[in-house]
Amino acid sequence: MKKSLEKLLNKPLPADPFLPQKVVITDVEELAPEHKKFTFSFLEPSSCERWNHIPGQFVMLTVPKAGEIPISICSSPTRKGVIELTVRKVGRKTEVLHSLGPGSVVALRGPYGNGFPIGIMENHNVLIIAGGLGIAPLRSLIWYILDRRHLFKEVYLLYGTRNYSSVLYKDELSRLKERKDIKCLYILDRLETPEDEEWSQGREGLITDLIPEVSLEPKETYVAVCGPPIAYKFIGKELLKNGYPESQIFVSLERKMECGIGKCGHCQIGYKFACVDGPIFPLWDTKNLPEMI
Amino acid sequence: MEFHIDRAKVLPKANVWEFLEGLKRRFKLIAPVKEGEKCSYKEISDVTTVELSYTRTVLPPKKYLLPYRRERFSYNPETMEFKTFNSIQEQVIFGVHSCDLHGISILDSVYLKENPDPRYLEVRKKTILIGLSCYPDEYCFCLSTGTAFPDGANWDLFLTDIGADYFVSIGSPKGDEIVLTLKNLFREIEKEDLELYKRSTRKKKEAFNRKELPDLERISQLIELEYDSPVWEEEAKKCLGCGTCTNVCPTCFCYTSVDIPDLEGKEVKRVEFVTSCQYPYYSLVAGGHYFKPTRTSRFRHRYYHKFVGFPYQVEKLGCVGCGRCSSECPAEISIVRTIKKLRGTDEKELREAVK
Repeated sequence: MKKSLEKLLNKPLPADPFLPQKVVITDVEELAPEHKKFTFSFLEPSSCERWNHIPGQFVMLTVPKAGEIPISICSSPTRKGVIELTVRKVGRKTEVLHSLGPGSVVALRGPYGNGFPIGIMENHNVLIIAGGLGIAPLRSLIWYILDRRHLFKEVYLLYGTRNYSSVLYKDELSRLKERKDIKCLYILDRLETPEDEEWSQGREGLITDLIPEVSLEPKETYVAVCGPPIAYKFIGKELLKNGYPESQIFVSLERKMECGIGKCGHCQIGYKFACVDGPIFPLWDTKNLPEMI
Repeated sequence: MEFHIDRAKVLPKANVWEFLEGLKRRFKLIAPVKEGEKCSYKEISDVTTVELSYTRTVLPPKKYLLPYRRERFSYNPETMEFKTFNSIQEQVIFGVHSCDLHGISILDSVYLKENPDPRYLEVRKKTILIGLSCYPDEYCFCLSTGTAFPDGANWDLFLTDIGADYFVSIGSPKGDEIVLTLKNLFREIEKEDLELYKRSTRKKKEAFNRKELPDLERISQLIELEYDSPVWEEEAKKCLGCGTCTNVCPTCFCYTSVDIPDLEGKEVKRVEFVTSCQYPYYSLVAGGHYFKPTRTSRFRHRYYHKFVGFPYQVEKLGCVGCGRCSSECPAEISIVRTIKKLRGTDEKELREAVK
């Protein structure tokens, strides 16, 4: 018997990583049509204290009777006590979740995935690029950075979405615009109403149009990107054109996940698993891994 | 180590049935049984039905470690109280060929290295593996994958046919204990037995048709280099997308999980089913984006995962050369032929091309 294999079999039984923990929904906020932000609290205070995550990680949420879904955490680890998840109603499971209100008991396990490399991002500029629902996992990063503002240099947030009514976290993002320690540039696909016009300050087009407006030293900057799969190719190209180094651009990828811990195989991207090797990958990986974006 | 002369024993063929009877008394005995033309692993009630010389079973012994439908836990949807099931019996899987032993070792690495799955570990701890030597047929290519012999895999006893007897190598304390409890059936090893053992190893090597074996040297690099090769599309055209190749594979581990409520909605069971990367919805995400949209991309993915993914994850090829995917494929797609085509060395094809 091989030594390494013998070791594997002689392990004691670990705690079951598939068993979720009970949580209660404490608040539901409607952000935009079909989009709701759920706030969860653990029923046991000890689990609440133990909970710690890195921006960019996700949880596996059990929706009673419907099944399990992977959802990115949109709350910052610097704000303890609650977990927030923003969920778009796209299928059966999320539909059941959307029908639940405060007080409902659900269950979740995690956090899973690698998260953004916040350690190495410190002492650098940070450029955050969000497209549509991609703002959700990045909200965790934004608040993490703003709560530890002294650790980072310049911070930019670029956010593009369809129109004003589909903007998520409207109040929060408006308040961010007024802050001096983060520069926010918002853009909308099409300006149709005065609200649209006001929100994006007349900027109409794609999120890639905002990249040349950023005045940061690319070599000193880490970039965090999250958006629909189609956007990555164009955002990546534009970032490279503007001189941002490939190894400093991090993208968050979406895949089907059923276990979250590298066992079910659905989230394979080339030879990697999005759940354990990702979902945050450096752009450099997209060159080596087929079918990545 | 496991071939050390003090450790190995000899089991005369005449004692095999008694040996199996002895195993059956203590454990749930699983062994290959002939059913029509083909063999399959079954729980044994009559030891004389056990098939001792077979080439391959339809499904690998993986089905007794990772059942094709398994219940993870159940919960009450109101209170979200979880209940896990524990009814794991000690079992012995007898007659496992070397390639399948390697297959199980690969599953061990996948399930136990990172984020170990406690249920798999429990089943695995309660499973005794007894290997059996074999000879290849036209589909086998375990000599290329380095899995023709049990060295390096995880097993308790391994029986090598040396003519009138079986040469029994002992691979673990559990295996040793079995030999001890049934020690009157075994005899000590003699010098002659060692000679016969070496001859049997040689005979197996010679039984392969070397010209037909695929060249798997730097296969990961080949698959990466030929990622855009037209061969994928050519082969995928024949593919029916039925998923047979992944279901019969001893190393495929993908599953899908579903929550199934009972009729009153009081209890929900989370059930896991084996799935296949060959099915279109395999990589479908919410919102309707397919990451492997075409049959070609799914077909290629299987090879990519076997020859690039597994080496990255567990430092071994994900293919053990058992030949099941080729022998069971209804469209007669052969993994060996695909590899040869990718290398540009399929002689028959080349000959036809010259014509």
